[in-house]
Amino acid sequence: MQDMNLTSLFIELMARLGLNYEFLATGYEAQIWRDGFLTTLYLVAVTIPVSLIVGLIFAACLTSNRPWLSAPVRGFVELTRNTPTLVQLMFSFLVLNTVVSNMVGGAQNNPLSPFFWVVAVVGLHVAALHAEAIRGGIEAVPSSMIEAARGMGFSPFEIMRYVQIPLAFRSSLPAIVNGLISLVKSTTVGNAIAVSEITYASIMVWTQRDNVVELMIVLLAFFSLINFVVARVGSWVERRLAIPGYGL
Amino acid sequence: MSMTATQASKTTSKSSRVLRSIGFVAMPLLVIGWSLIDLSLGRELVEWIPYLASGFSMNILITICAVTLGTTAGVLLGLMQLAPYWFVRLPAQVYVQIFRNAPALVLIFATTYIFPFEVVLFGNYLPFPDWVKAVIGLAILSSAYIAEITRGAVLSIPTTQWEATKGLGFSRLQALRYVILPQCVRRSLPPWMNVASSMAMGTSLASLVGVHELMHAATDASTAVRRLDFTIIAYVVVMAAFFTLCYPIARLTRRLERRFNTG
Repeated sequence: MQDMNLTSLFIELMARLGLNYEFLATGYEAQIWRDGFLTTLYLVAVTIPVSLIVGLIFAACLTSNRPWLSAPVRGFVELTRNTPTLVQLMFSFLVLNTVVSNMVGGAQNNPLSPFFWVVAVVGLHVAALHAEAIRGGIEAVPSSMIEAARGMGFSPFEIMRYVQIPLAFRSSLPAIVNGLISLVKSTTVGNAIAVSEITYASIMVWTQRDNVVELMIVLLAFFSLINFVVARVGSWVERRLAIPGYGL
Repeated sequence: MSMTATQASKTTSKSSRVLRSIGFVAMPLLVIGWSLIDLSLGRELVEWIPYLASGFSMNILITICAVTLGTTAGVLLGLMQLAPYWFVRLPAQVYVQIFRNAPALVLIFATTYIFPFEVVLFGNYLPFPDWVKAVIGLAILSSAYIAEITRGAVLSIPTTQWEATKGLGFSRLQALRYVILPQCVRRSLPPWMNVASSMAMGTSLASLVGVHELMHAATDASTAVRRLDFTIIAYVVVMAAFFTLCYPIARLTRRLERRFNTG
């Protein structure tokens, strides 16, 4: 009951400002909208780890001396960075998804949901950005450090694990945070294949209510907030990981 | 170690050079080869190519308009952010903070649905086409990015330059116009080109609000033909088109960055 009063108070106040938030009082539309927020947050929370892990793998491949490992990844990175995410998403959803459906015998058996494709496409797209950033970081590790590690008997994998990646991660962190911010923004392409994230939910509401401006204010505030949190967490991690005297 | 490192960088640079040429050739070759193997597919594709091309010209038009508009507004906003008066500075800062964090798609939806479909000008009803709204949406986003780039570039100019202009009796605006901004152009060129290429990719989002551009054309074509192989090849053509538009920009950006870093 208390919650109800707060909602109606908010609607009342906003109506005085000339903003129409009446849909919040209805059960169905408010539910769609609330689920939209949760879906976007969930999408972001799932895609960020995917992009980071894949980005790290890509970066390791890119810096490897074996051309059969670095060349395909390089090709993939260039392709994803220079084509729109929406085109990649539509291609994956219309082509790869259909191929998978045909292989398992009919769309009803297909275990891959639109949500999966958004996570995969946006995650890989941002992973390509991360890979470039981390590669730059790995190449910026002074060769004297690597020689020292080699002198102490580290294997190439151990050098990667204990010397190159920790240092590269620190120096590429600002670029990674930028990548994560563009990830948050890219999750909106999900509405092209009817993943009910917040822009999709908002369209559902404003086609009924014609209150685009009101929803747009909330959308912009919401994305500013998520990106603010991501940037803050990023600079917190940066401060936590800073090595005194290393100058990063 | 250093020898193997240089060797490695040499092999990667060689393989990237090979890949660079493959990047331009591979997708068109795939399209041509496949159409020649399956001639019925090739015939369909040739039939639809003019339609796809008309879509792509819309992408280029939107990109050029959005980047031009965004650059003009962005440079002004960036300079406003550095103004000595708070009533000039604050609105620009708020604008940049809000729109820099906004997804392109949200801005395109905003402009499409908020602006009317026609405007009344001196009693005449003029249509307000959707593509112009998409241009405005992308221009808002790019102006916020370019404002930050401009601000960063101006701040990166050593203060001695400002002091020298003061010594020579330049006003603040004259100093900006004749001394500071010319130096900024060089520094902000690579990030500006990044924005331009991401705007070019952002134009595909306009298909979601019904603008007839390449993505939209490809979807139309694939629903009309209703063949899985045609759908694949149509989207490969779309990807190849965007790739040939954006990849040269990315290469040039990287080369300029390297030159400015060493120079």
